Amino acid sequence: MNKVITINLGGNAYQLEEGGYDALRAYLEFAAVRLQGNPDKDEIVSDIERAIAEKFRALLGSHKTVVVTKEVAAVVAEMGPIEADSGQAADPGAGGAGAPASASGHGAAGEEPAAGRGGTPRRLYRIHEGAMIAGVCNGIAGYVNADPTLVRLAFVLLTLFWGTGLLVYLVMAIVVPEAFSPEEKAAASGVPSTAQEFIRRAKEGYYEAMKGFPDRKARREWERRFKQQMRGWSRSFGREMRWNADQWRHNWHSYWAEHAPFHPGMCFALPLLSLLHGAVTLLWICASISLLATGAVFGLALPANVPVWVAALLLFIAYGILAAPLKAARRACYWGFGQPKWAGSFMFLLDAVIWLAIVAALLLLAVHYFPELRQAVRSLPSLAHQAADDIRAWWKGK
Amino acid sequence: MSVNEKFSAIRKGLLEFLLLQIIAAEKVYVADILKQLSATEFATQEGTLYPLLSKMRREGLLDYEWKESGAGPPRKYYELTAKGREQLRDTLEYWGKINGTVKKLGQK
Repeated sequence: MNKVITINLGGNAYQLEEGGYDALRAYLEFAAVRLQGNPDKDEIVSDIERAIAEKFRALLGSHKTVVVTKEVAAVVAEMGPIEADSGQAADPGAGGAGAPASASGHGAAGEEPAAGRGGTPRRLYRIHEGAMIAGVCNGIAGYVNADPTLVRLAFVLLTLFWGTGLLVYLVMAIVVPEAFSPEEKAAASGVPSTAQEFIRRAKEGYYEAMKGFPDRKARREWERRFKQQMRGWSRSFGREMRWNADQWRHNWHSYWAEHAPFHPGMCFALPLLSLLHGAVTLLWICASISLLATGAVFGLALPANVPVWVAALLLFIAYGILAAPLKAARRACYWGFGQPKWAGSFMFLLDAVIWLAIVAALLLLAVHYFPELRQAVRSLPSLAHQAADDIRAWWKGK
Repeated sequence: MSVNEKFSAIRKGLLEFLLLQIIAAEKVYVADILKQLSATEFATQEGTLYPLLSKMRREGLLDYEWKESGAGPPRKYYELTAKGREQLRDTLEYWGKINGTVKKLGQK
């Protein structure tokens, strides 16, 4: 049993299944975006609506009054992608949201961008709506179709391992583009702007329910419950965050348990170690990016049977091995300062902030000046797909 | 890259010319045009056709009139304007020239 939504297309009413309605709305929204700046936009959109209406009409009969989701999808596929006429409404953003998902970027961009998957091409974006910080987790969740809270939790857990999650988050916040236009938002999750859709539906439900309460008292009671529910939702997330913070503190105290003797040389060694650590990290990031962009590490080709994602994993492990002694040395320095406890933690915080700032600033510059880096980030989603496929094939092979 | 791919840009450019030719023959609406094209190398979809037709109308090459259809919404029937006919004549002439050049070049 599916919910049916009645729409008006070209002056006639049609009944669509809810999923079909969503698909049609996404298609028409997509059309409107593609035709942005076209002086005949409204007319073309109504032409398209009329053409769709005619196709629906052909599907319906006296015993069939509802267009099901599958049929809507078929009609939309038959309509094909909207091609703006050349030079007229080509999207100005170099980001080329409508460009095909393949990172290779053929000259004939815009040729059937979504034909392959029959939906919107998926791209990794940051999604601002409903974001906690920069929308990175939200974007990943939209990309892999998961609950954002789970992704956030994964990041928090990853952060417990020597702050890896924090670093990855920072890097992604800088290099992953944010979804601004509705088209980009659609591409971010492969469905019409999930967050917007969610908000719209929530509101719709809210107002629908409001209509059902003619008397004021009942309405107020319902309103109170609606708000309470929302609050409970955000509170449970807050509880999760607090639990994580407690874990953090706990880990800290176990560090303080081991004291190292203080040595004046540490004052000089600490900044040096930090810089060295930062350099190693940067080297790893650049190596990974060059691996993703060119399939080779700084021009050194991989052996033929090693997939890129395995190489990336190996790089990460190599980085871990290289960085571990540096990290240990730095930690020893903080303990050295730990005569009054707060001095050590203050040094750590200061050092960590400076270190993160150095890495972030250099990375920002690198992304700004090397277009290949940006390209590499674009290729990340397809790489993730490849990795997933590889793992699936390996699993089946077993 | 196959020949088919190499010619995608050329096909795109020629589509306007073909539309002029189809519409010149008789008053048609979009489903007719799609049907005529579907059997050829120029098979297209509505998503491409509507923007192109409205561009051509804006350029004054064609015009349309509304006709009621038995069932469903009214349809737009397209026809060429005087300017459209002129353009078709010019294009045909030019196309003949290009064809001649393609055949002639490289022969002795």
